[in-house]
Amino acid sequence: MDSILKVFQRPDFLAQLVVHIELSVIALLIGITVAMPVALLVYRSRLWSAVAINTGNIGRAVPSLAILALVFPLLGFGFAPSLVALTLLAIPPILINASTGLRQVNPQIIDAARGMGLSNGQVLGHIQLPIAAPVIFAGIRTSAVQVVASATLATFIGGGGLGELIVLGFQRNELAIQLGGSLAVAILAIITEVGFGLLERAFTPKGLLVTSNHRSK
Amino acid sequence: MIEFRGVSKTYPGSLHPVVNDLSFEILDGEICVLVGPSGCGKTTSMRMINRLIEPSEGEILIDGEPNTAMSGTKLRRHIGYAIQQIGLFPHRTIADNIATVPQLLDWDKIRIERRVDELLQLVGLDPAQYRGRYPAELSGGQQQRVGVARAMAADPPIMLMDEPFGAVDPITRNRLQDEFLRIQEEINKTIVFVTHDIDEAIKMGDKLAILKEGGVLAQYDTPEKILAAPNSEFVSSFVGADRVLKRLSLLRVSDMELDSTNGDGDDLPRISERTNLKDALSELIGAGAERGVVVSNGDGARGTLSIETIRRLSHQAEAEQRYE
Ligand SMILES: Nc1ncnc2c1ncn2[C@@H]1O[C@H](COP(=O)(O)OP(=O)(O)OP(=O)(O)O)[C@@H](O)[C@H]1O
Ligand SMILES: [Mg+2]
Repeated sequence: MDSILKVFQRPDFLAQLVVHIELSVIALLIGITVAMPVALLVYRSRLWSAVAINTGNIGRAVPSLAILALVFPLLGFGFAPSLVALTLLAIPPILINASTGLRQVNPQIIDAARGMGLSNGQVLGHIQLPIAAPVIFAGIRTSAVQVVASATLATFIGGGGLGELIVLGFQRNELAIQLGGSLAVAILAIITEVGFGLLERAFTPKGLLVTSNHRSK
Repeated sequence: MIEFRGVSKTYPGSLHPVVNDLSFEILDGEICVLVGPSGCGKTTSMRMINRLIEPSEGEILIDGEPNTAMSGTKLRRHIGYAIQQIGLFPHRTIADNIATVPQLLDWDKIRIERRVDELLQLVGLDPAQYRGRYPAELSGGQQQRVGVARAMAADPPIMLMDEPFGAVDPITRNRLQDEFLRIQEEINKTIVFVTHDIDEAIKMGDKLAILKEGGVLAQYDTPEKILAAPNSEFVSSFVGADRVLKRLSLLRVSDMELDSTNGDGDDLPRISERTNLKDALSELIGAGAERGVVVSNGDGARGTLSIETIRRLSHQAEAEQRYE
């Protein structure tokens, strides 16, 4: 136990932790910036949202390691290629949930909104996005947890992150370093899960919580 | 005034129009009921007024101006609309639902709050109890009232109401109809009201526009005229075999010319002058009497009413009836 705690005090631990978080946060932000506009473009059309959702599903089915292995020969070694790979991982869950969530908003609610003179932009901003928010945030959460976990693999293409420590532990045959690295990743993933869970609740309009209570009763 | 001028609608990809050459006028302060069997184009006709649907032919004038004179969005902010399926916003409180259009029109906060409470009161929901609730916490009938309040929020001169009392049981519906007629007496809006229930149409309408299959206007007139003289087999069968009785239910005893009492009223049944003729007839038949004494609120005898008078009235109307 003591030796694991010592791992957390190594200077390279803090450095790799920062890289790990950087990789994850940037990948997630780019993922959101790409996936949300695409979802907004496609959700109105049944055909295009089916294309987006199916592409997303295929994307999710590809293992993280396979994506890294695909990126390496194309883009090479280092932080940027790792970032590209993680972004590719981040996009599908957000894209899928955002298009599904927007499509699921009851068309009669949208009709009522249009009938009262809300512009298309207002219907989207005041009605559709808030109602779809819980589903969209669930997608972002899935994506974030996946990115944090997969960032561990970035070390294989020279992207750094907590994976470095685990590999180092293997190379030196030091169990403490391996465990320390893994533990840190696990804790980071749990914090991400819980943190985004809280955000999701915060962004779920109260009226929708009431509805779901009603239905589950 | 709303004026339909040769309005037709054919949906893309369809051969037949669902609304066919509609021309009629809805006067200010009147409730015009669009009524007809399911799928005859009532909702489509209504939605062309606020341009949620654009006509394929013809035009609709509002106060003499084509409704295309301003943007659809702006137009809709000045026409109240209660959609067929209520469509309350689940993520907003009742107060915020009702405040939707006033907020779009940038009313100040205090004015909006006051208006919301006033409307809740008007539709019979206690503001203190309901303004902070969410739609999911209301019954279907209560939601429907909020839908109506929301359509009235910015005090629009014109309101479109698509089967606004469709989702409630007959007793509640009856009460909502009465409440609504009472409210209309105060607010005097121009209202287009859709229903497929002929009884509701007769009760609510100053004018009925009876539509038939294919969106053709079969007859447009007051309920009394339509019941007295349906202009076709279709209208006649749509208003029902009991149309003579339905017509009697539109007239009150106080509307009739009464016979004098002749001082022999003591053993005759008493009928309040506020009763409608259908109920009065029922009372007379039930009491086994030919005549009854009509009394006003203060119990003063006003005269007598006989079954014969009612019969003559109905028969006259029947004789005027002509199919074209
Ligand atoms: N968007 C649309 N595209 C194609 N056809 C449509 C569309 N909306 C309605 N229709 C058709 O137009 C006809 C009239 O529909 P509308 O909704 O106006 O009827 P309605 O009289 O309101 O019926 P209900 O009493 O059932 O509400 C129907 O046959 C319907 O199938
Ligand atoms: Mg309809």
